Amino acid sequence: MDNLLEVSNLNTEFKSDYGSKQALHNISFKIKEGEVLALVGESGSGKTVTSLSIMGLLPNNASIKEGEIKLFNTNKDEIDILTLSDEKHNEIRGNDISMVFQEPMTCLNPTMTVGEQILEVIIRHKKISKINAKKEMIGLLELVEIPDPIQRSNEYPHQLSGGMRQRIMIAIALACNPKLIIADEPTSALDVTIQAQLLELLKKLKNSIVTKTSILFITHDLGIVKELADRVIVMYQGKIVEEGNVLDVFERPKHSYTNNLIQSLPEFKIEKRNKENIQNITKSDNEKLILSIKNIYKEFPVDKGIFKKSTETVKAVQNVSFDVKENKILGLVGESGSGKSTLGKTIIKLIEPTSGQINFKNQDISGFNKKKMQNIRQKMQMIFQDPFASLNPRKNILDTLMEPILVHNLMKKNEAKEYISQIINDVGLPSESLNRFPHEFSGGQRQRIGIARALVLKPEFIIADEPVSALDVSIQAQVLNLLETLKETYNLTMIFISHDLSVIEYFCDEVAVMYLGHIVEMAPVNKLFTNPKHSYTKALLSAVPKVKTKKTNKILIKGDIPSPINPPSGCVFRTRCPNPGIECTGGDIKMGLVEVEPNHWVDKCCVKLD
Amino acid sequence: MNFFLKKLLIVVPTLYIAWTVVFVTLNIIPGDPVNLMLGGRPASDEVRENVRKNLGLDKPVIERYGSFLINATKGDLGKSYLTRQPVTKMIKENMWPTIELSIGGLIFGVFFGVLFGVFAGTKPNSIRDTISMIIALCGISLPSFWIGMMLIYIFGTTLGWVPIVGDGFVSLILPSISVGLFFAGGMARLTRSSLVDVLNQDYIRTARSKGISKYNIILKHSLRNAMIPPVTLLGIQFGLLITGAVITEEVFARPGLGQLLLQAILAKDIPLVQALVVYMTAVYIFLNLIVDFTYGIIDPRIRLERKNQ
Ligand SMILES: Nc1ncnc2c1ncn2[C@@H]1O[C@H](COP(=O)(O)OP(=O)(O)OP(=O)(O)O)[C@@H](O)[C@H]1O
Ligand code: SF4
Ligand SMILES: [Mg+2]
Repeated sequence: MDNLLEVSNLNTEFKSDYGSKQALHNISFKIKEGEVLALVGESGSGKTVTSLSIMGLLPNNASIKEGEIKLFNTNKDEIDILTLSDEKHNEIRGNDISMVFQEPMTCLNPTMTVGEQILEVIIRHKKISKINAKKEMIGLLELVEIPDPIQRSNEYPHQLSGGMRQRIMIAIALACNPKLIIADEPTSALDVTIQAQLLELLKKLKNSIVTKTSILFITHDLGIVKELADRVIVMYQGKIVEEGNVLDVFERPKHSYTNNLIQSLPEFKIEKRNKENIQNITKSDNEKLILSIKNIYKEFPVDKGIFKKSTETVKAVQNVSFDVKENKILGLVGESGSGKSTLGKTIIKLIEPTSGQINFKNQDISGFNKKKMQNIRQKMQMIFQDPFASLNPRKNILDTLMEPILVHNLMKKNEAKEYISQIINDVGLPSESLNRFPHEFSGGQRQRIGIARALVLKPEFIIADEPVSALDVSIQAQVLNLLETLKETYNLTMIFISHDLSVIEYFCDEVAVMYLGHIVEMAPVNKLFTNPKHSYTKALLSAVPKVKTKKTNKILIKGDIPSPINPPSGCVFRTRCPNPGIECTGGDIKMGLVEVEPNHWVDKCCVKLD
Repeated sequence: MNFFLKKLLIVVPTLYIAWTVVFVTLNIIPGDPVNLMLGGRPASDEVRENVRKNLGLDKPVIERYGSFLINATKGDLGKSYLTRQPVTKMIKENMWPTIELSIGGLIFGVFFGVLFGVFAGTKPNSIRDTISMIIALCGISLPSFWIGMMLIYIFGTTLGWVPIVGDGFVSLILPSISVGLFFAGGMARLTRSSLVDVLNQDYIRTARSKGISKYNIILKHSLRNAMIPPVTLLGIQFGLLITGAVITEEVFARPGLGQLLLQAILAKDIPLVQALVVYMTAVYIFLNLIVDFTYGIIDPRIRLERKNQ
């Protein structure tokens, strides 16, 4: 194969008020015609800067100090990209090299229809009439599998779901048959099910594109690399630390950083744990219940403005019941919008349930008012996803941690100081951190502070809502390890909310799978992951790209999650179910969990079909 | 419900509240209107009583308030104390020069405001940005009567480029500048900051990645998105446009509502003042309504939201 792009010795620098900082150090690599090259590395390692350097789209405060980027034309002319004028570079952008960005929500112009945005790039680079360009635009929409392409092309970005917007971005990138598409984390902001759809689309395109388009795929997800890429480059702190064929790198990583990256993947840790048999079975005799919820419903009225009384409701949580045993971790998993966070907040009564019972330590707290909840709150705490947003930026860490202690009158101020520095050490931070402010910490450190804040009141029960989702894989692993040790030392019970199935598999004892407000399946982790019963669980598990297992047939879930205002009747999953039974399509079966094996609960409509 | 209907439903009470304020303030002004009416001439009690009756001042305040609102709705706002003409007629006669001037000021303000805003915003923190913004700041902070006088002095008297008095388009130039400069300054600053913000958006990066030229990125991708805050400003500042016109008319000795208002205030011609304020509030509210609709044209998200309500 011939080289399409050669990057040699690239050094890119950022200037700021504090002086300059080198983001890329001597980056050199080649992309061959028709190959998929993956670029992996943690946040801040320089992946985006590399791609923007190639595109000539670096921000104003960045400059390329040294290096060469050569693009080889169809007739093998070489073009030195870095010496091009902006006008000449514009001829290449969108035409020879195009790009797909990470944030589907903000990457399309909100005041232009999506059709116009695709048309624009066709007309810009291909000298064809508007009518022909329109035909091509519709063809592209069909290619990226947008339903009703003519109708959709007249809609604005905000009328489309995240997945569809990303398809539009892909259509824009494909419009002029580019030689290279740079995709910067194109699926990271999406649900696994939607991610699986898009990866499938990309694979299809890759196999069908005759013009040998290459893809530079930037990601932090090693599973995707395994699934999609031919070769991989690993970046660390602005340097390339490893390069090679995907299989080679995964099996025989040369650099210790790559090795660590692979070893910190939950799937590897699970494997290791299974080998060492760390799981202590005798321990699970302790079956005391700490929390038991029954028939919880939560519906929010839809805001319709001042003139209309709202009759519609968002059905966020529907008839959810489960028990949590002492010193266990229950995982709650599902796509975004499935109601996980609402359920978590309802249990801890940050929001009131519409109906249902919440029994915490044999006490029904569902009717408790704020005052009565005060004492309960001390025993039930919540950890949030975004550690920065939940910390007061003007308070130093000591004050932040002191506040709840004083509010609950747990101990005196001087006693508390010692206690707090003990806790901050327990979460793996030095005592000096107490005098510092939230912005002085990294994402991972802030999450440790969030955890410390949940711990100061000596709770027995913690609800952790996506506590590691915003963190890099390696940091994720550290925080999970921390939570695990803390669980033992503080004797905690936990509900762990996550959309990441491998994290759940690694970390939890039991899992509940949620879809559109319903729990459709619940079981001990190993049962659920080895023997899923519900069609949704099966599809969800198959959607996760994995490094270890070679998957042949993916069960794809069609379309987007329906609106929780008007969920489908009968089985809520029936509109997207890959293989619905005849009974399901009528939409008149009733949902509800039944126990198919000891501790393995599945929605009863799906059981009948097995 | 239809967005248009809903807006109109809000406009009506707003107008009535505004008119009530007008009525109340003008009716608690000290001084007996009858005295004003008689122009300070001595008169017998009988005459005074007659005048009072003629003006309808013998009726209780509540009744006067009621008939004021009803008549205002019908467009009948009584007769001037001074000229004894229906005030509506006087307003109609003096309306056009002011409308011309306001439109002139508006066009000047929007055109130069957007121009300077774009000029500065496309290259933030450059020299041209700094200079543009200093000019804009001058436009905002210099009082318009002073600017008017300066314009007359420089372009009219010293250079003799443009006539200062007379009618026709040319004589409208200097007054329009003097009215519109304030406007232009505000527009320029807001257009600039809004444009700088838009140019940092992800979708602009997307447009650049498509190879769209700089010119088209500004014209097709940025301006429309950037115009929403300036259009809001437009709505808020219509009132200032009207006061600007009033002052400018005085400086340039132009006929118009400004002159009329000034005379009416000096002569304490309450019906005329009242009528002028009633009209101006109505115009102000109406123009804001137009601005509200413009949002929908600019931003499809707002349009759709309204449709769904
Ligand atoms: N606009 C900027 N100004 C200053 N420094 C920047 C800027 N953008 C990026 N950097 C720095 O450049 C380095 C590389 O950043 P880059 O965005 O390429 O990382 P990345 O690998 O794409 O990370 P992520 O996975 O979070 O997208 C980082 O140290 C970052 O702090
Ligand atoms: S009940 Fe039917 S529609 Fe629902 S998930 Fe099971 S098979 Fe699919
Ligand atoms: Mg990045």
